[in-house]
Amino acid sequence: MATIKAVKARQIFDSRGNPTVEVDVILSDGSFHRAAVPSGASTGVYEALELRDGGSDYLGKGVLKAVENVNSIIAPALLGKDPTKQTEIDNFMVQQLDGTVNEWGWCKQKLGANAILAVSLAVCKAGAAVKKIPLYKHIANLAGNKTLVLPVPSFNVINGGSHAGNKLAMQEFMILPVGASSFKEAMKMGVEVYHHLKAVIKKKYGQDATNVGDEGGFAPNIQENQEGLELLKTAIAKAGYTGKVVIGMDVAASEFYDNKDKTYDLNFKEENNDGSQKISGDSLKNVYKSYVTDYPIVSIEDPFDQDDWEHYAKLTAEVGQQVQIVGDDLLVTNPKRVEKAIKEKACNALLLKVNQIGSVTESIEAVRMSKQAGWGVMASHRSGETEDTFIADLSVGLATGQIKTGAPCRSERLAKYNQLLRIEEELGSAAVYAGAKFRAPVEPY
Amino acid sequence: MALCLSRNQANVDAIMLEIDGTPNKSKLWANAILGVSLSGVTLSVCRAGAGAKGVPLYRHIKEISGTKELAMPVPNFNVINGGSHAGNNLAMQEFMILLVGAQLHLLRLSAWAVKGYKAKYGQDACNVGDDGGFAPNVQDNRRIKIGMDVAASEFYTKDGKYDLNFKKQPNDGAHVHSAQSLGQLYKDFVKEFPIVSIEDPFDQDDWGSWASLLASVDIQLVGDDLLVTNPKRIVEAIKKKACNGLLQKVNKIGTVIESIQAALDAKAAGWGVMVSHWSGETEDNLIADLSIKTGGAPCRSEQLAKYNQLLRIEEELGSVQYAGETFRSP
Repeated sequence: MATIKAVKARQIFDSRGNPTVEVDVILSDGSFHRAAVPSGASTGVYEALELRDGGSDYLGKGVLKAVENVNSIIAPALLGKDPTKQTEIDNFMVQQLDGTVNEWGWCKQKLGANAILAVSLAVCKAGAAVKKIPLYKHIANLAGNKTLVLPVPSFNVINGGSHAGNKLAMQEFMILPVGASSFKEAMKMGVEVYHHLKAVIKKKYGQDATNVGDEGGFAPNIQENQEGLELLKTAIAKAGYTGKVVIGMDVAASEFYDNKDKTYDLNFKEENNDGSQKISGDSLKNVYKSYVTDYPIVSIEDPFDQDDWEHYAKLTAEVGQQVQIVGDDLLVTNPKRVEKAIKEKACNALLLKVNQIGSVTESIEAVRMSKQAGWGVMASHRSGETEDTFIADLSVGLATGQIKTGAPCRSERLAKYNQLLRIEEELGSAAVYAGAKFRAPVEPY
Repeated sequence: MALCLSRNQANVDAIMLEIDGTPNKSKLWANAILGVSLSGVTLSVCRAGAGAKGVPLYRHIKEISGTKELAMPVPNFNVINGGSHAGNNLAMQEFMILLVGAQLHLLRLSAWAVKGYKAKYGQDACNVGDDGGFAPNVQDNRRIKIGMDVAASEFYTKDGKYDLNFKKQPNDGAHVHSAQSLGQLYKDFVKEFPIVSIEDPFDQDDWGSWASLLASVDIQLVGDDLLVTNPKRIVEAIKKKACNGLLQKVNKIGTVIESIQAALDAKAAGWGVMVSHWSGETEDNLIADLSIKTGGAPCRSEQLAKYNQLLRIEEELGSVQYAGETFRSP
């Protein structure tokens, strides 16, 4: 049984050109296993704490302290440990080496969630290698899941909010090929719609509008959120996939919530605006309901502020049967917040972002709780990514049924989709694509 | 063992060329041959790893090419896009910054330059073109130099002129240059700005203009479309003194050995060599191990994967030298 012989961290760069942490775990058999952590631009206040250096180097985004925490604190403590004991190692790092706690659980303030997660991911890869099984199978075993499923990709193809310079308040518009018969066909559908969308946008807004944002989506200079939905509807029809490719939204409403007067400002991108587009939570709920009536929308993520539990519950009660209501900022992949949301019936799907919670073990726990409550789970990238493809294996191993990792553009996004193609090929006839059952592809485990 | 592997690699490539038979690989298609050849490199590394306790890919490439010293390349960051890569009116395709003064933290200056632009021009101007470029505020020209990739073949006209307004059709022809006046324009740029490298300043068959410019300026003139990493065209360019830099793109010639041969021919003639991406790339980072230079801005991971690999190689080598100011002949 190979054990951990060395752990080494370094600073590398994510897809935005920002520093991030990469870790190599070297085993006693001479093999090494590498992982790099992602980072968000639109972050929830309840996320595990990412450690940045501050100062002027890299405009304050350096991660040399986090790297040093791995090399001088975590690395010596993990020597000789068995990398297949994921839970034991994660809990050791989170609870003992770091040990910081807030009202929502382990916050990883001392060592940094980016330091801990990079090691957690690399250890997971090392554990799979020791057991001589694919990473996705190792993750399935860790979770107690017996059924592997290829996820429906949720391609982020139009950007607004914090991810773009246009006036769109809503952050992401996505296309989901639920009518495909395999992941491979889903990629074909997604790619074709994407290129049709590019042509539609170019014709209407000019070639500059086809430059892409952080996740590969277009950010045309459109004035209204509904216009984004119209563009998607047109592109899907032109590609010939009406009924087979449907629409999802990530609103990221916390970004335009005004906590003082409890309103949502749909014109927040314009500084010193006249406030004429501020609406109540109830009005915003009705906007979503009208969209759901007029367009084939199957998923809405972060429709309200992360603390607006009341309106989340209302929307879920009214449209939750036909539309998945996904909690990202609301839940931040935190088991305690998932538990609260289940109890209050605030949403019916988890957005799984490993760096929001900071370890593989806690991520798996959040997924298991969600599935036992009958929820959907969407595995997700961050807007700052690297060439690491861990979340592709994670989505198959946990049978999330869905994965959101950007447009079919930019290789930090396509690397994940390419990995899913390899996994599907490797599984052969045993491969199962989630398709229309993306919200509940397997029995809870 | 390494020598045998080196011969095996050359044999694999030669066998593939023999099977194909056609000089430009039309029978087996360059992409298929390149794919097999890249796998061969990986397999060779595995064998070398088993027999010699592990040899990094860049050392393997060093051995099969006969290179004696390793040097960290100067990155050329493509930060402003024009030409076919963008919707603006710029005729010239790419403007790059070269960090000739960088040391261990080679990406710091570029990250600073890039972020400075966001603050000034806002978010929309920061959406990125195919190579990840937009436009930086380059203030420190002692340590940052400028490179250009003009891609002049794109705006070469049927009557042998160059239309700098080619993106607007039809236009009044007011921006049409003769080769001679375009050459003068480049000389003016070189005089006024810290430009150290110009790629594809003229059409791929306008040999005379290339030679004329090379004789007039003391900078690196890089052949991409002119050479397509083809040894025969390199020999012709050396003979005609048409340029003094090779842009090495592995998929333009099709096999690893031919790419290395092209680089060796260029270096033997005293040329500089840049290893390059294409604007359609993946996350494979082999070209960072091929080394010398890798393009693209520090944005989008198909570009950053190469830079990240260079950071890992530099860390692993410890005291290896950085090419810096001597990037043309390290």
